[in-house]
Amino acid sequence: MILVQNLLVLTIVAGIAWVAYAASRDRYWRESAREMWRRRPVALVVVAIYLVIGLLDSVAWVGGTVAEDPTAAYLPRSVIDRIFKPEALKEASYSAPLADKAFYGSDALKHPGKHWLGTDILGRDVLYRTFKGVRVALLVGGLTSLVAIPLALLFGVSAGYFGKRVDDAVFFTMTVLSSVPSLLLLIALIMVLGKGAVQVCIALGVTGWVHFCRISRGEALKLREMDYVASARVLGVSDGKIIVRHILPNMAHLVIITFALSFTGMVLTETTLSYLGIGLDGSWGQMIDQARNELSRTPIIWWNIAAAATALFALVLAVNLIADGLRDVIDPRTRRERT
Amino acid sequence: MLIRISRIAALFLALAWAGCTNDPYPDADKGRKVLYTSFSEVPKTLDPAVSYTTSEHVITGNVYDTLLEYHYLERPYKLIAGLAEAVPEPEALPDGGQRYRFRIRPGVRFHDDICFGARSPGQRSREVTAQDFAFQFARLADPAINSPVASSFVQVKGFQAFAKRLADLRKADPAFVKQAAHVQYAKAGGIEGVVAASDRDLEIVLTEANAQILYWFAMPFTTPIAWEAVAYYDGREGRPNFADHVVGTGPFRLAVYDKQLRYVLAKNPTWYGLRDEAASAPGVAFPSNIDPADVAAKRIDPAYAGRRMPFLDRVNFARERENIPRFNKFLQGYYDDGGIIKESFDAIVQGDRLSPDMAKRGMRLDREVEPSIFYIGFNMNDPVLGSKGGERSRKLRQAMSLVVDTETFLQLFLNGRGVPAQSPLPPGLFGYDANYRNPFRQPDQAKAKRLLAEAGYANGIDPATQAPLKLTFDMGNTSAQSLLESEFLVGAWRGLGLNVEIAATTYNQFQDKVRRGAYQIFRWGWNADFPDPENFLFLLECSNAQANSNGPNTANFCNDGFDQRYRAMKDMPNNETRLRLVKEMLAITEAERPWIELFHVEDFTLSHAWLINSKPMGLSYPAFKYKDVDPGMRERLIAQWNEPVRWPLALLVIGVIALAVPAVRTYYRERT
Repeated sequence: MILVQNLLVLTIVAGIAWVAYAASRDRYWRESAREMWRRRPVALVVVAIYLVIGLLDSVAWVGGTVAEDPTAAYLPRSVIDRIFKPEALKEASYSAPLADKAFYGSDALKHPGKHWLGTDILGRDVLYRTFKGVRVALLVGGLTSLVAIPLALLFGVSAGYFGKRVDDAVFFTMTVLSSVPSLLLLIALIMVLGKGAVQVCIALGVTGWVHFCRISRGEALKLREMDYVASARVLGVSDGKIIVRHILPNMAHLVIITFALSFTGMVLTETTLSYLGIGLDGSWGQMIDQARNELSRTPIIWWNIAAAATALFALVLAVNLIADGLRDVIDPRTRRERT
Repeated sequence: MLIRISRIAALFLALAWAGCTNDPYPDADKGRKVLYTSFSEVPKTLDPAVSYTTSEHVITGNVYDTLLEYHYLERPYKLIAGLAEAVPEPEALPDGGQRYRFRIRPGVRFHDDICFGARSPGQRSREVTAQDFAFQFARLADPAINSPVASSFVQVKGFQAFAKRLADLRKADPAFVKQAAHVQYAKAGGIEGVVAASDRDLEIVLTEANAQILYWFAMPFTTPIAWEAVAYYDGREGRPNFADHVVGTGPFRLAVYDKQLRYVLAKNPTWYGLRDEAASAPGVAFPSNIDPADVAAKRIDPAYAGRRMPFLDRVNFARERENIPRFNKFLQGYYDDGGIIKESFDAIVQGDRLSPDMAKRGMRLDREVEPSIFYIGFNMNDPVLGSKGGERSRKLRQAMSLVVDTETFLQLFLNGRGVPAQSPLPPGLFGYDANYRNPFRQPDQAKAKRLLAEAGYANGIDPATQAPLKLTFDMGNTSAQSLLESEFLVGAWRGLGLNVEIAATTYNQFQDKVRRGAYQIFRWGWNADFPDPENFLFLLECSNAQANSNGPNTANFCNDGFDQRYRAMKDMPNNETRLRLVKEMLAITEAERPWIELFHVEDFTLSHAWLINSKPMGLSYPAFKYKDVDPGMRERLIAQWNEPVRWPLALLVIGVIALAVPAVRTYYRERT
């Protein structure tokens, strides 16, 4: 299990490196990258930081000893775990950010000034918990988008391109799925599938593809009437080839925008699910849920909810900004205007 | 047009300025003895044979009378006579059984209700007879009514036989069910052990001695029920169900019952306590033997001693779904009593007393430890944790018990509102010893580690897998709060090197796991039905085990020594022998550790200075007849606390004008 996870991380890192290398050899992509960096430097840095944290939290191995929690030595601990040493960093209960004594009473902390974002009710470091939430968010957003988008493209393009019976079938399925309130459908699916990371991702993927399917169907309907598609058809090019050569490339900008939008949408939906108590363990939604009553406390305890909400907000905003920038940079139409 | 609108607005503003108040109650109720309180959980049923939750007993306890009642002030709890003329003494019968004779007070009448006119036109009520009690007993036994407490009456002679006869008759003849309930019961022959000897004499015959049965006569389950009401309120032709309509005998009537929104209890003018012949009844006059401590705490006003009850005209219940608004309305004075929400606890209570701000308002804080227990249970059928593991598992359980720090748990999650439990018995019960300290409930990490090593799990390592021993903590609740609580508990065990995982599922899935026996560690609680150790110790008796009989012994604890003593002490009156038996049973649970006893909840109630004679009621049901309010003081203080804040209104007006000026100017400019 751990081996598979580490290999997966390795694959992702290798993939990113390879894409970067391949892109740097192509003049068009090199210029696009430079243009992106010019337009959205902060958002790119933010997302890169999230990615690094998420990847570091995914590389885990068993080993080492932890004095405070003997079981931890037998469980895989990630790089983030090893940097923070959460078992050692525990306090008795609440403490404010950078405080040197407990929030209630005046007991001195074990690690005064070390909790940058304070500690929660069980004395756990909030910065550490926020960092742990990064991986969950990336997993939910990335994995479900990777499931939902190909699904939506497959159905949407075939419905739009072939029309007739295929269109009827796909459109019927879409309408049925979108007529059920998606949150209810999600909850029902999770009740059936059970709690867990994979289950939640499947449920989100199943409910999440409809919207993009509708868009890609419309786009395919429009593109198949284009002159170049008609001439390709006259020349006897096969349907598959037309889709791959002429339809899909013209939808690339749509895919990228939708990926970003659905990525952030999924992260937000998971937060909602966690708030309802059926999300993933360790997510920001769970932190917010656990902290919601703290806001009405006197004196107020704000750092839990503020940390989770800020982390969530920053990720969603950065990804949306990047999507917006990417659209400008790679959409064939805007590119033409630019040059 | 513009001028007219501004004139209306000016009028409205003037009105708002003058009559500015946030009082939610009608002016007509000013100065009347109305108690205002709130509820959050909607009652499911008011049928006294079925209703079993606190939110329902708040109503049923005050509109239905019982043969016996708990003394309002005395602790430990003591029974007094209610509808019965005296608390009966048991009579031994030659066959080993027991008989209780109740003499019913004269002149007890049902609430005025149209159901009595259905058969004999013009009749509005009638006197209660012993047959009405027998009718309710038949209802308790009726399998179709499915009373949750039916099993408590199996020692009543012929109780189960009657239920079986009834079921057989119904099965044999489909038309039988269509008849009214009292006709069916009469045809089934009634319960042998419930005898209406005359209109005013009720005899209960038990097949074996049972000293605890009397407590059941102080609960609404055994109230007299009029067969006319059950026959009439059947939910057909626009009539409500019996579960939603009360025809009782109590000091209050249910005047309004809009259960999603509000209900109102109104003084019952035909209550037996308001007749002269009942003047000496203990359930009618306010008790005279008032504890000076209650007077000193201003809970009880000694001037009320011996006065005729009830004092209130009405009790007004309003639905409040959310804690924070309910609490704010209480602080404004619009509810007379309320609990303390966790969020504001530190502002209200400081060092076990009211904060100076609150004390200045004349508020009162009452604390009472509820007769309840919250505990962690082990599934004793589990191969690792259970009794089959013998000494190894026992030491494992003892070690786990030693590291759970209830004191900290209570501080973190309940603002310290609880008493750390040393045994299954809560304070105030026979057999409870305030000085007893359970050696396995005093947090001691070193001792726990030693025991764990002796059990063969040195440092928590399971020799079979060479990894930390893996256990599962099953939770029937997915809320964030209970997850935090479980993480706290599990964290303590992880410190020992035990790898305890939390399996949080919905309550239904958890119950399913319990049915299948697929659970290791769970958390549960129990609230007493009556103040007797039996009502707690039966949770650990073998025949009540979940695995054997789907009983409440979820820990599946089976111990011969415990069971023997349980059977012996069960129906014994409180004496030296019983005390010894209880102590011995507690010693068994202490060593065996089927439970890790967590805490007994301590109830904190706030009440305003104008609420008189309000004492945490614990087990006692009819509480409102003892209470009173001072409406004059309430009106004065509410006015003082709710001074209207007018400047936002002025600000609003200025804002509206500032917004309107450019619009008006543009309007006139464009028109020309």
